Amino acid sequence: MATPETDARLAAEEAPHLTLLDANEDISRPISAPAWRFWFLLGVVGTIILWAGVAWVVQIRDGLGVTGINNPVFWGVYIATFVFWVGIAHSGTLISAILYLFRSGWRTTINRAAEAMTIFAVMTAGLFPLIHLGRVWYFYWLVPYPSQRMIWPNFKSPLVWDLFAIGTYFTISLIFWYTGLIPDLAVLRDKMTGWKSKLYGVFALGWTGSVKEWRHYRRAYLYMAGIATPLVLSVHSVVSWDFAMGIVPGWHSTIFAPYFVAGAIFSGVALVITIMIPLRWAFGLHEYITEYHFENMAKLLLLTSLIVGYSYAVEYFIAWYSADPIEMASFRWRAVGAYTLPFWIMVFCNCVVPVTLWFKKVRTSLPALMVVTILVNIGMWYERFVIIVTSLAHEFVPASWGNYTPTWVELSILAGSFAWFFFWFLLFSKTLPTISIAEVKEHLAHEHHD
Amino acid sequence: MHEREMTESSCASGTCGCGGAEPVAEPGTSRRDFLKVIGVAGAGVAATAACGPPDAGDKLISYLVTPENTTPGVNTTYATLLTGAGPEPLGLHAWVRDGRPIKLEGNPSFPTNRGKLTALAQSALQDLYDPDRVQQPLRRAGDGFQPVSWEEAIANAGGAVGGAGVVLLTPPVTGSRAQLYTEWAAALRAEHVQYEPFNYVVQRRANEITFGVRDIPAYDVDGADFILSFGAEFLETWLAPTDLSRRYAAARAFETGRQAEFVFVGPRLSLTGTNADDWIPARAGTETLVALAIARAVAERRGVAPRLTALLAPYSPDAVADQVGVPAERIQALAEKVAGARAPIALPPGVAGQGQAATDAHVAVALLNWVAGAVGQTVRFGAGARRAESASFTEMERLISAMRSGGVSTLIVAGVNPVYSLPAASGFADALGQVTTVISLGSHMDETTQAAGWVLPANHELESWSDAEIGAGARGLGQPLISPLFDTRQAEDILMQVAVAASPGTDFGAPDFASYLQNRWRELHRAGDRVLGFESWWVERMKAGGIYDRSPAPTTPVSLAAGAFAYDFPTPGQDGGGSLSLVAYPTLQFYDGRGANRPWMQEMPDPVVKAVWNSWVELHPDAATARGLAHGDIVEVRSESGSIRAPVFVYRGIREDCVGMPLGQGHTAYGRFAAGRGVNPLEILPARTDATSGALAFGGAAVELTATGERGQLVNTQGSDSDHDRHIATMIGVDLARAELREHHADPDQAVDAAFDSDPNSPYRWGMTIDLNLCTGCGACTAACAAENNIPWVGEKRVQQGREMSWISVARYYKETADGGFRTLHAPMLCQHCGDAPCEPVCPVYATYHNPEGLNAQVYNRCVGTRYCANNCPYKVRRFNWYTYPMGEDGEDRTFGEWPYPLNLQLNPDVTVRSKGVMEKCTFCVQRISRAKFLAKDQGRQVGDGEVVSACMQTCPTEAIVFGNLKDPASRVSQLARGARGYHALDELSTRPAVTYLKGVTHAELENGSHGGGHEGEESHDSENAESHA
Repeated sequence: MATPETDARLAAEEAPHLTLLDANEDISRPISAPAWRFWFLLGVVGTIILWAGVAWVVQIRDGLGVTGINNPVFWGVYIATFVFWVGIAHSGTLISAILYLFRSGWRTTINRAAEAMTIFAVMTAGLFPLIHLGRVWYFYWLVPYPSQRMIWPNFKSPLVWDLFAIGTYFTISLIFWYTGLIPDLAVLRDKMTGWKSKLYGVFALGWTGSVKEWRHYRRAYLYMAGIATPLVLSVHSVVSWDFAMGIVPGWHSTIFAPYFVAGAIFSGVALVITIMIPLRWAFGLHEYITEYHFENMAKLLLLTSLIVGYSYAVEYFIAWYSADPIEMASFRWRAVGAYTLPFWIMVFCNCVVPVTLWFKKVRTSLPALMVVTILVNIGMWYERFVIIVTSLAHEFVPASWGNYTPTWVELSILAGSFAWFFFWFLLFSKTLPTISIAEVKEHLAHEHHD
Repeated sequence: MHEREMTESSCASGTCGCGGAEPVAEPGTSRRDFLKVIGVAGAGVAATAACGPPDAGDKLISYLVTPENTTPGVNTTYATLLTGAGPEPLGLHAWVRDGRPIKLEGNPSFPTNRGKLTALAQSALQDLYDPDRVQQPLRRAGDGFQPVSWEEAIANAGGAVGGAGVVLLTPPVTGSRAQLYTEWAAALRAEHVQYEPFNYVVQRRANEITFGVRDIPAYDVDGADFILSFGAEFLETWLAPTDLSRRYAAARAFETGRQAEFVFVGPRLSLTGTNADDWIPARAGTETLVALAIARAVAERRGVAPRLTALLAPYSPDAVADQVGVPAERIQALAEKVAGARAPIALPPGVAGQGQAATDAHVAVALLNWVAGAVGQTVRFGAGARRAESASFTEMERLISAMRSGGVSTLIVAGVNPVYSLPAASGFADALGQVTTVISLGSHMDETTQAAGWVLPANHELESWSDAEIGAGARGLGQPLISPLFDTRQAEDILMQVAVAASPGTDFGAPDFASYLQNRWRELHRAGDRVLGFESWWVERMKAGGIYDRSPAPTTPVSLAAGAFAYDFPTPGQDGGGSLSLVAYPTLQFYDGRGANRPWMQEMPDPVVKAVWNSWVELHPDAATARGLAHGDIVEVRSESGSIRAPVFVYRGIREDCVGMPLGQGHTAYGRFAAGRGVNPLEILPARTDATSGALAFGGAAVELTATGERGQLVNTQGSDSDHDRHIATMIGVDLARAELREHHADPDQAVDAAFDSDPNSPYRWGMTIDLNLCTGCGACTAACAAENNIPWVGEKRVQQGREMSWISVARYYKETADGGFRTLHAPMLCQHCGDAPCEPVCPVYATYHNPEGLNAQVYNRCVGTRYCANNCPYKVRRFNWYTYPMGEDGEDRTFGEWPYPLNLQLNPDVTVRSKGVMEKCTFCVQRISRAKFLAKDQGRQVGDGEVVSACMQTCPTEAIVFGNLKDPASRVSQLARGARGYHALDELSTRPAVTYLKGVTHAELENGSHGGGHEGEESHDSENAESHA
């Protein structure tokens, strides 16, 4: 996708009149005393988080009965939302690490926000395995630690694999993100005064911008990208095994790992676009994040949409090809049973809506992209809901079939998860540069050299 | 959860009247302990282990002086008697732990139930521990009651019974109680009326007409090769369901070469009917014509007296077909089968088929039995159970009019609830207002007790002495299991005290009923062989639970009476249909309404409809479609006597011109679980009788149906009605089954296979077989499991959410037949204890794991509640504690885990009471396995076959469930599992279940089972069900 020519074009198109100092100023401008808008948004998300907290307390006090899950649908909104956020977490690393390794220069202006998204999404996702536990006060029994009881977790259980996969991913993503931030933190240290300067200084690790530092920095960043890359594939593969390792018709399928990874990138890219559009507007970053960036993102969205659509088709093909009547009944019911609406919402949002991205007009229209990406995210949440709920509702024993409807507690916590995510994103946008200053300056420098 | 423990015994004085309770030797007792028990008993100083006060706060204090016969933490078994759980007396082996009965098992020596119990009998403990029992004597004060002392209550009652117009209303009883009632009534010049709502007056009258014998014969269903039920619910509520279930199982013992064909005739398929091979959906009230048409065909074949031929002549299948509403060919074909059978038996209608011409049907069935040669062979007079005769409805009407006209000054009601169980149209409730003094000896605040002026609460049956005649030479003996929980007295003691208060000179020859009963048994002892002295003999009888004469009951020869030849049967006419008729039927969980305040019974899904905690209106699918009605729509059912509203259940097993409604719900009082739940069809039942016998017509009332446009909820635990040919519940034709049996070679590697699924060093691999050919769907296993394993109720709303907790649940699947009809297969589903269990590897904390004996164990302590195991269980048998149950009577209170006192006293101390957030499921009664293993270890041997009996197996009336060690090739369970009919549910998943199902066998021709997805109509039905479930 990206060649040296496009990189040059990028620099030329994006910043004909920008100087290195401009970049410092423009990008760090949002990191100033917050306006009322910020406090208002923070208040809104804070209230929702508090409300969700109340819901969780009620659930801990009374029991999981306050949710809608039941026999046979033992998992519902919580696990769907968990998988959704793990999926969202994929775009950051993909954009930062993989595109970095492929030298796709267009990633420069979006990678910081995307990585932040990754971290906050993992932080959100990580709450759900706790929230969904029947006895959350014993959550640490899932953690392998030596104790006098000599009881270890069951390493055969995909839930334990989850713990490792997500823990690793969170750690690596955080370090990768932090590594990229160091030169920018130094910029902020220099710009700020008083205690702020000191604080940024601590995190800037005494960065001076010497050639030696830059050389080490570039090496470290490259290696981190190398380490992070396989995680993009592994994390969601492991999460998908929660289902694929199960015996449940509709879950027990070998395509789950690639299918989930593609879906994760799909939803992650969609959310990056959904967030970058208002961010760009709010912070006046039009010159840094341009149509060109959005169009490239939209192309990635289109590609992953096709993979996801193909996966849906393959699932049905395999169900048919297996000639297993139970598998077939499960998939038939998924489309025409009690959850017809969620199923068709999923198909419409994930397979039909992205078709419009074949048109350049749509790819380059921000309002259109906004609509498409929001729909994609709705569709991707429903995908997880459909996979989990419809498979469980219509399992092996027909006498045990039954349906599931979420309750206010689950919906509150679902809303709370979005609020939690945006809470961190708001803090991030006011305290750290949302675009990598160092990388933008690198581009500008290239331009000047040219 | 506090389990309250008894701390002391306050009953040693014997004032509770149970000073002589005697344990049976516990099977798990060592010989030395056994001798100790015998020694103590022989000395006649047995104290009162079974009679402790139930509750002394929350403190756990060990005994300072342990009562006799009690080892803390070990069950003591007492033999006793239960007459209040359905139509037959049942012998019990009650397990008493630290003074509290915690589990009822059948007494294996008892002739009627042979160790088996029905669901209703299992739930008698919840009746004993009912939190809504009357706790002290009361007198009316305005709309309510105020407590009074026993002295005042007895004195007042004594004054009230002194005059004329005294009536004592009791259920029909036999034995010492009957004798006491008679003596009591004679002493006070009172009238004694025995009444039960589901009685056998029609049958007695019909046999009197047909054979000149006013008796109920023994029906030896086990000896029959063709069973024809004209609406007799003999596997659930009719005559002697436990006994008849056992006999039915014997008649269907397929491997022995027997598989009696069973055909059900009637407008609605009852649970009994769902077990039949064929259903002749005769219009309500036309059973007579079907019976006569068959009798005619059989008579033609066999040749009978010309007078009989003449009587039967008009009833050719062609002549009756139109009125019956069934094609003549089907009646003809059935008649030919009956005529060709070696030993056919016909059973007359039960309650649901008791219409305004009930005697006609009974006489016709009796004639059919006669011409088919069953009388004297499988239908034996003189050999039936002794049962006291109930007043007919006409006689009750006479009582009602006497009450209304002031002819009754004092009415004492003991053990019956006529305000509820008589039709509202009978006017009993109003007439009660005309009686000067109404005294209730009820133990519950039921509708009748609530209308009484005085309540002198009686002990529960399990707190009382009792006996009953149970047949020729057999008599059951009941001893109290626990001292009265509340300030109550034995009903008979109250009557005796009242009589003494009325006229101080009254003498019953004994100071109390315990001695009175013992005196009667002294007479029996004198009449017997007198090998033992009375004291020793009495102790032996108490331990045995009665006297059982093993010699076969003699048969009284009978012949047709003149009345039979002269009987005026209706002439076959044209279609008499047009309007809808009501089929009000009894259910095995509520019987006549007495089961309604027991949460186990409310939450046990109805065996046919699979609904819980409610009433419903059954409609044929076509009738429902024609009216635009679907599951859960509220309809109004109106008769000439009133109207009631209930949700619709669309049922394939009912005629289009009938409306089915269950009896037993719709209480206005009786307790927290019963009151205000469902509706009582007796409220709209016109007070019509069968003129010949005077019995109430439960069936055939004309009703109208109006849609109200409202949608209610009918909570139903059955997801889909079909198993979609998934090899979960399998049924095959009898010919195929026989062919498979012939070709079958038992797998000699079975024990090796079993070894694979448990530790190679363990001698055990526990397993189970469930014979779907014998399972009748009665649900006794579900109730026994709830009792054994502390399974809480969750309430209607929670069941609707899909959160029922039953570890063993009976699914009801329809199987399509080649002729477009259907058969029903009842399939219990429980944890299959898979050898390669999908639930085990997914648990992140090893809360579920495979134990060395092949059990799929669940460690509640370790469970964190990820519920992954339940998702991964293909059998869907895992149950999650969404809350700490129970939560109040309807499952909606936030009183988590509070078992209303004294229901908590029933909890089994051997089984953990679970709390929120943990998974649970069937453990194969691991506590019973442990008990047997401890004993075997003490004795230095292995556990033998039959030593571990799971609660479900123990109670199963047809012995469909067999439990044991699969590694022992000689064990009953291994032999059954290796049989030709054995299969594993969802075998293709390679889960290697420990439960082997044995295929159901039917004489019906089943549809070629190749379709995978069920039927067109069914699919929409499923989604509707699913909707109501969500």
